[in-house]
Amino acid sequence: MIIRAEHLTKTFRTRRRGDGVMGTLTSLFSRAYDDKLAVRDVSFDLEPGELVGYIGPNGAGKSTTIKMLTGILVPTSGECSVNGIVPWQNRTQNGKQIGVVFGQRTQLYWDLPLKESFELLRAIYGIPADVYERNMAEFTKVLALDEFIRTPVRQLSLGQRMRGDFAAALLHNPPVVFLDEPTIGLDVVAKEAIREFIARTNRERGTTFILTTHDLNDVEKLCDRIIIIDHGQKLYDGRIEAIKRRYGRQRILVAEIDGFCADCEIPIPGVRKLSQAGARVSFEFDRERVSADELIVALAKQYELKDVTISEPELEAIIREIYLKGLGVDAPVAEALT
Amino acid sequence: MRIRPYVEFAKRAFSREGTYRTQVFTHIGSVLLRVFLLSMVWTALYRNNGEQAGITLPAMITYATLALLLDLIYGVNGAYVIREKIREGSIAIDLMRPISVPFYVLADTVGQTLFASMQIIPALGLSLFIVHLDAPATLGAAFAFLVAVLLGFVVNFFLDLIMATITFWTMEIFGVQLMVQFISSLLSGSLVPLYFFPPGIIQQLAFASPFAAIYNAPLSIYIGKVTGLQIVTTLGTQVVWAFVFGVVALGLWRLGERQVVIQGG
Repeated sequence: MIIRAEHLTKTFRTRRRGDGVMGTLTSLFSRAYDDKLAVRDVSFDLEPGELVGYIGPNGAGKSTTIKMLTGILVPTSGECSVNGIVPWQNRTQNGKQIGVVFGQRTQLYWDLPLKESFELLRAIYGIPADVYERNMAEFTKVLALDEFIRTPVRQLSLGQRMRGDFAAALLHNPPVVFLDEPTIGLDVVAKEAIREFIARTNRERGTTFILTTHDLNDVEKLCDRIIIIDHGQKLYDGRIEAIKRRYGRQRILVAEIDGFCADCEIPIPGVRKLSQAGARVSFEFDRERVSADELIVALAKQYELKDVTISEPELEAIIREIYLKGLGVDAPVAEALT
Repeated sequence: MRIRPYVEFAKRAFSREGTYRTQVFTHIGSVLLRVFLLSMVWTALYRNNGEQAGITLPAMITYATLALLLDLIYGVNGAYVIREKIREGSIAIDLMRPISVPFYVLADTVGQTLFASMQIIPALGLSLFIVHLDAPATLGAAFAFLVAVLLGFVVNFFLDLIMATITFWTMEIFGVQLMVQFISSLLSGSLVPLYFFPPGIIQQLAFASPFAAIYNAPLSIYIGKVTGLQIVTTLGTQVVWAFVFGVVALGLWRLGERQVVIQGG
């Protein structure tokens, strides 16, 4: 395995501050601290070449985990390693074998033209000339860097900057790349271009990716496996298909009925009418209790059907449920699902 | 440690500074203004009080003018960027790279300082229209002066680095910074030569303080207050302080790095 996290835990300690003038004055002298458990006993393994979605609501502990794996933060307890190196003990060694893309901040040099940033990175990572030339040629083509490679980074659009950031993160051929919300703020076309580039790099170079994002379309299009964390704890680790099967029990059937029906109802347990707009009626049904077949047959008996569509549950809807309610199962059960 | 990235950092810092052209002119202008004002002040003081502590008026004006020129390079404070990086969290990016951040900052400061030293040439030239400057006491003194400036730069850099590294623990260090700046400007001899301090314990402390290694050491050598074997001990003391501050700064950095709290995202 290329990435290993074992019982990874991180506690942040912050000075307690009181409210108002008196509070501020007392906090000047008091030594009260608040401990915040950002990551709690998280374990997972990644095999080389995996592309894993690491998701969770804001403040779940995603970034903290990434920062421990990149060697910036020292775990309070637990262990982790990347390609056999313990990141925080050997930050510089680890730095050579990882690439990082932050959607929210750039690693390019603000004042310099994009090309100069690449040249500087070449010196920082000691990239051999042939590797540098080859990678530059490829990235320039695939990411269409040509149009803005001489432009200072501060004048680039977000989409251009992100393309530059991706090239910068991969220039030294890192076997492991961390992506922290890489598509945030991008338009649909730019998002698609970035996703394609990630998929391509993963496929052709076998680069291992951990993808942190709030855009579940990223995850759905790119990853087979997701790890969900919330409140610092791992909730789920497994295939997206499995979580869809397990939690996406509710499906939606939309029927278009010929002729008017004032109040269409289907008296089958497990089926609930959601809405009706003229001849279009939507039903929600529990896949485990009623099959789509049964529902259509029952409908056809009562009404003249013109059209029927069934929609799969969106990953987003499932994840939203999980964030709000939790898994509703014990952690070991969630483990067994995988 | 590979040296190449740091050479590149210094080069980039040098050319980056070159893009702020107006800053160069205002810098030089403000130095000239202060050269003029200080020469007036010292002339007036000397007229009323006569020669002080064995420093003649021309030597004093030379001292004050060179101190202002040294300000151009000592005032760079390249370590300041660390504070900004820690405050806004972009230090994360630097920490992810296979480089030593303190040495990256040192390289950047060297680049900036080299650019700043180029400003010294026109500033010095123009100062000569305003004031008379004594030549260095001897050729040896001139050489020792340059070495002492270099060592003063190192001490000054590590002092700045120590101050900036404290940001790892407390984000607000403006008050401490002001205090250290005040003490430093007093004890380094940048405003008033330490020879003017009342002889006794205070003067001894001032001479012994690490701040004296920044301005006092090179300037005393230049005006010939420190000669012969004393030059060697002065340079030696600077080396010791450079070493001590270096060890403290890098040690502090190691500790800070271990308990870094990244701001935001």
